[in-house]
Amino acid sequence: MTADTTAHDIEAPGVRIRDLTVVYKTPAGELPAVRGVDLALAPGTITGVVGESGSGKSTLALSLLNAVQPPGRIAAGSVEIDGLGDVLTLRGEDLRRARGRQVGYVFQAAQNSLNPLKTIGKQLLDLGRSHDVEDLRGLVRDAKDLLARMGMDGARVLDSYQHELSGGMRQRVGIMLALVLNAKVVVLDEPTTALDMITQATILRIIREVHEERALTTLVITHDVGAVAEVADSLAVMYGGRVVEHGPVTEVLGDARHPYTQGLIRAIPRLSGDLSLARALPGRPPTLGTLPTQGCVFRERCERRMDVCETDEPMSVNRDGRTVACHAADRHLTLVKRKELV
Amino acid sequence: MITGTGITKIFKQRGGVLGAREVPALRGVDFSIAKGGAVSFIGESGSGKTTLGRIVAGLESHDGGEIVIDGVPMSSLSHRRRQPYFRRVQLIHQDPYSALNPTRTIHQTLEAPLRLRARQTGRPRSWVDGRAAELLAMVGIDPGYVLPRYPHQLSGGMRQRVVIARALTMDPEVLVADEAVSMIDVSLRLGILALLKDLRERLGVGVLFITHDIATARYIGGDGELYVLYRGQVVERGATEKIIADPVHPYTQSLLSAIPVLHGLERPGAERVVPREMQREGEPDGGCLFARRCPFSTERCEHEMPVLGRDGGPGEEAGEEAGQEYACFHPRRRSVIPVGVGE
Repeated sequence: MTADTTAHDIEAPGVRIRDLTVVYKTPAGELPAVRGVDLALAPGTITGVVGESGSGKSTLALSLLNAVQPPGRIAAGSVEIDGLGDVLTLRGEDLRRARGRQVGYVFQAAQNSLNPLKTIGKQLLDLGRSHDVEDLRGLVRDAKDLLARMGMDGARVLDSYQHELSGGMRQRVGIMLALVLNAKVVVLDEPTTALDMITQATILRIIREVHEERALTTLVITHDVGAVAEVADSLAVMYGGRVVEHGPVTEVLGDARHPYTQGLIRAIPRLSGDLSLARALPGRPPTLGTLPTQGCVFRERCERRMDVCETDEPMSVNRDGRTVACHAADRHLTLVKRKELV
Repeated sequence: MITGTGITKIFKQRGGVLGAREVPALRGVDFSIAKGGAVSFIGESGSGKTTLGRIVAGLESHDGGEIVIDGVPMSSLSHRRRQPYFRRVQLIHQDPYSALNPTRTIHQTLEAPLRLRARQTGRPRSWVDGRAAELLAMVGIDPGYVLPRYPHQLSGGMRQRVVIARALTMDPEVLVADEAVSMIDVSLRLGILALLKDLRERLGVGVLFITHDIATARYIGGDGELYVLYRGQVVERGATEKIIADPVHPYTQSLLSAIPVLHGLERPGAERVVPREMQREGEPDGGCLFARRCPFSTERCEHEMPVLGRDGGPGEEAGEEAGQEYACFHPRRRSVIPVGVGE
């Protein structure tokens, strides 16, 4: 990734999530929404995390801000961000400062995360004051530049209330607020959900361009494989709180190894291709309460399940820059290797 | 059979310096839905697609044009006499989470309309329970499991199936499905689409499918018809597969170009079209409605409004066979949709 760093001299930071487990308190005890997740975001890349409802993707994203709310609790692991350290050890003021300054966050439905009683400009100034920005004029200037960069009239937008802006405009305001303090790590949670097709395409293009111009490390969380395919460099697939597959986006989509990824790709309505080959995955995504406590979390919907899947949870295996957690995928590769040896 | 001719709808916006402003939501839309047919309306927010669905379901009035159900023009009937006709059209809501009453079990949810149906058709009360189970089985869920449960105990996919089963209690001729899969998990979407297709074939129910995602329209039946709506006007119309493969109107091409490419499996179409600007609210009329955003517009487009037809088109027989029509002065075929990597 070549990034234009002339205006922004800091290099994109790397992010390393290690063995992260987040549990939620339920009547049935503490259940893991995210379990043992290892995920590295390479500096200057866009990583897409795709998963269905209950896959733990939003919980994972909140962990980057150490912002998991009760009844949730980060039970184990670390989130190391270059230049900041382990976010999970930050407390109080340090944590508050890091949010927004180092890690920008564009919330799911940014449309609804703005204050309806204040103009966008007032909210921008609030943000600046809470982060002790001395040059508020400079902040407004930066905000206007960013908005203009995304194809909007900055002065007009800052004078507007959120109801005066369309969904696509509010989404761009959300991106501006996440970037205006010069955060180098940006998390976007469902950035294009509820937007029209053409607006979605525009927002995805803007995310890509701003990412490259400002040398960011970006994480995009979504249920929409298509949106991620369009924008990301690497793709992590989550299921039942685990990252079941991770690798370069073209490889994961073009040659999926985990049966869930394969099934998900087959289930995407597409414009071309044979309709008879497309089908829904059997069963339904697990919830916290229905997650199996041992063995593979996907086995009940899997067409390649084996005896070992009932008892042993598959380990993540890294091969040629790709990670897969599946007994069957593993076995397939081992068999191929053996054949080559003979 | 339901037909609509010249359907118009105008919303009056209050406020503004000059008082009420009129916003046309539908500008003379013609359509027909045959028994067991599939008609899809595609468009962005503000295109009028949801308004059209509500008019077809009898939930919204219209300002001009005529809806004809089974040969009877609705304008000739009083509000009360219209009701039995509109009962044959049932609406499936977008959000299966808010479409079901949370304080009622699925059994209670299905029982009320089935009792009404039993009275209408002179069936005994005992018919109701059996029919509820039958309908749930028809939409692919286990009645024994679902009937005693409340909506919050079911997944989104199951709830949407219950919503469809409830719509079927009235033995409808047409189901209006407004963004019926947009809130369903990706791995389950095709299941709901396949169910709608199956209901068409098994029960002869027509489907009016309303969505912003063109790709899903392919999956409710290849024999379907597609209408592309822009700001209340049908700008392109024809067989679903034909329009997707060979779009002629620059707006249709923009919509299709905006669908994400699954890199690794597909490569982008060679002539993807990107609108010059984003949509603005309160744009003036006059000329082609898409002219300001269209990369191919000419001076004529600024002043004259094109009508739906085949004028100036590529003039190819296959397109005419498929009944493809468009409202554009400069129609041209462009390859905009992704192509499989292997092809």
